[in-house]
Amino acid sequence: MLRVIAALAIGAILAVGASVAVVNVASPAPEPPNRPLYNYGDR
Amino acid sequence: MAPDASAGIRSHPLESVIMRSGWVETAERSAPALLGLLLALLALGPALGPGFVLRYDMVFVPDPPLALPGEGFPRAVPSDLVVALLSRIAPDQMVQKAVLIGIFVLAASGAAALVPSRRLGPRLAAAAFYAWNAYLAQRLLLGQWALLLGVAGLPWAVRAVVLGGRLRLAVALLPAAVGGFQAMLVSALAVLATAATAPVPAARPSGTPDTGGSPGRAVPIRAPRGRAVPGRTVPAWAVRARRVVEAALVLGVLSLPWLVPALLSRAVTDPAGVEAFAARADGPLGTVGSLLSLGGIWNANAVVPGQESWWSAIVRLSLAAVAVWGFARLRAPRAVPYRAGAGEARGAGAGEVPPYRAGGEDVPSRRAGQGEAPPYRAGVAVAAGGGLAVALAGVFAPGALGGLIAWWPGFGPLRDGQLYLAPFVLLQAVGLASVVARWHSRAVVAVAAAVPVLVLPTFALGAFGRLSAVDYPDEWRRVQAIVNADPAPGALLSLPWGAHRAFAWNGRRVVLDPATKMFRRRVLWNDALLVGLPGGGRLRVASEDPAVAAAQAALRAGPDGRTAALAGLGVRYVLAQAGDNTFQDAVTVFQGPEIRLLRLDPPK
Repeated sequence: MLRVIAALAIGAILAVGASVAVVNVASPAPEPPNRPLYNYGDR
Repeated sequence: MAPDASAGIRSHPLESVIMRSGWVETAERSAPALLGLLLALLALGPALGPGFVLRYDMVFVPDPPLALPGEGFPRAVPSDLVVALLSRIAPDQMVQKAVLIGIFVLAASGAAALVPSRRLGPRLAAAAFYAWNAYLAQRLLLGQWALLLGVAGLPWAVRAVVLGGRLRLAVALLPAAVGGFQAMLVSALAVLATAATAPVPAARPSGTPDTGGSPGRAVPIRAPRGRAVPGRTVPAWAVRARRVVEAALVLGVLSLPWLVPALLSRAVTDPAGVEAFAARADGPLGTVGSLLSLGGIWNANAVVPGQESWWSAIVRLSLAAVAVWGFARLRAPRAVPYRAGAGEARGAGAGEVPPYRAGGEDVPSRRAGQGEAPPYRAGVAVAAGGGLAVALAGVFAPGALGGLIAWWPGFGPLRDGQLYLAPFVLLQAVGLASVVARWHSRAVVAVAAAVPVLVLPTFALGAFGRLSAVDYPDEWRRVQAIVNADPAPGALLSLPWGAHRAFAWNGRRVVLDPATKMFRRRVLWNDALLVGLPGGGRLRVASEDPAVAAAQAALRAGPDGRTAALAGLGVRYVLAQAGDNTFQDAVTVFQGPEIRLLRLDPPK
């Protein structure tokens, strides 16, 4: 029973963290500057 | 007294129970694949709408031509050809979506198939982890769908090695074979390691049932149909060696489509790629921490949004630690020990249990983890360690790796070492299942299956818009039709002279120039790669295609002479930006708002 409660608590904590992460990413961000566009990527 | 089955089965009160158990078993078998489908829908989101998903290396085009490998390194071989063939029988947009969804379904069902338990909870945990992790997300955001085909098929390939049989292995490796060189190299790492380390069946007296036994001993010599020859044995190392040779042969044959063009090509590999494509820290825990938590891709723009936060980094690393711990303690349930190296390939009949799957219900949790290790455990561990070492080599020993590549370009695929983490992903997926298998609770199972999504929630919805479907503007299709309808020979040169584009109609997502895959004729493009550095500079990884240098020299000739110089190289068309007026003697065949197609007169 203790393990179940622990698992549920971990799940709840992760769910809260996930919600915060989603809200942060989903919130409107300023338009990115017009970078040099022909890089394969940036390190 | 046993009931008369023939007489009473129709009216037996247990009939409904039996039928229900059949349905339940079917549902449980397909549950991991369904979970993979669900995760695919969640992860891809807007990418499943009408249009093509175009991002970095993921370039799908309308009406893709059937084209053989060019003179450069065969990077998209045979994946592009397979896509072109499939597009002949299905809408091209649907082909891409089917491939992307298939990656998730194949990965989830394969990881679940490796779990040494028939209980649904552990299998779902492995399925969710293997289909939803930082490695898969980052590689997808880099557009490397062909690599991911091999990654998705990896657990099936490992399973095939354990079960035995060349045909079974070849079928399991088909996704990797379609994917091409990266997919096959990642698969080879795990397949060969498993073939070399999986236990061999123990010898037993003739006539006694095969109930397992200690691995690593001699095995009875078998007649061609699999029947043991009494009194004769071969050493275990010989069995392993034969297994490795057979696996290498299958891998070699399936690699021929890209291996032959690679060996015949004059492509070169710039050792500067080691610095450009070495693993990097994608969070606050450094490069090693990133790799251990299955991230660390070289491209900062391929990182899942929000992944850089302390919360995400710590939670993912903690989950990785738990999963590795679980893998280290991975055991089959004691009730049905693994029959090391035995199984379906040796004619396991009804009622027998494959070596990676325990029969019936698992033993109670107090006995779980006390059976034999599954036969793939050492192989997956070796492959995971080897992959991690390759990834770390690019970071901590770039000079040595660069030296190898300079010595022989065949070592070039090692420069992007992070991609070899795939067996480590599989290790963690099975390890997480092992942890979940210790608990008999639906609540625990539900949490465990959701944990991979909860620790990386921003992979959802196409990583919040980073993967999305768009349609090509009409001008691209018109240019494609004009060029492909022209029977005259000659190459097409694509400008501006760089490999990647960031079109406004594609949301400014960076993508490899679509012109490289649109036309039936040879396309000359600058395959030199530019990588932005943290300080603001750019690192240039030299071109692999030897024809690029000649084209570049022709372009340097200036507006007066470049048309003739390019025509002298066999270039018939130039696809340029709409405002490019630097080809004075060329004929404008098509002028659109964004692109312009020019035709060069052949040299007199």
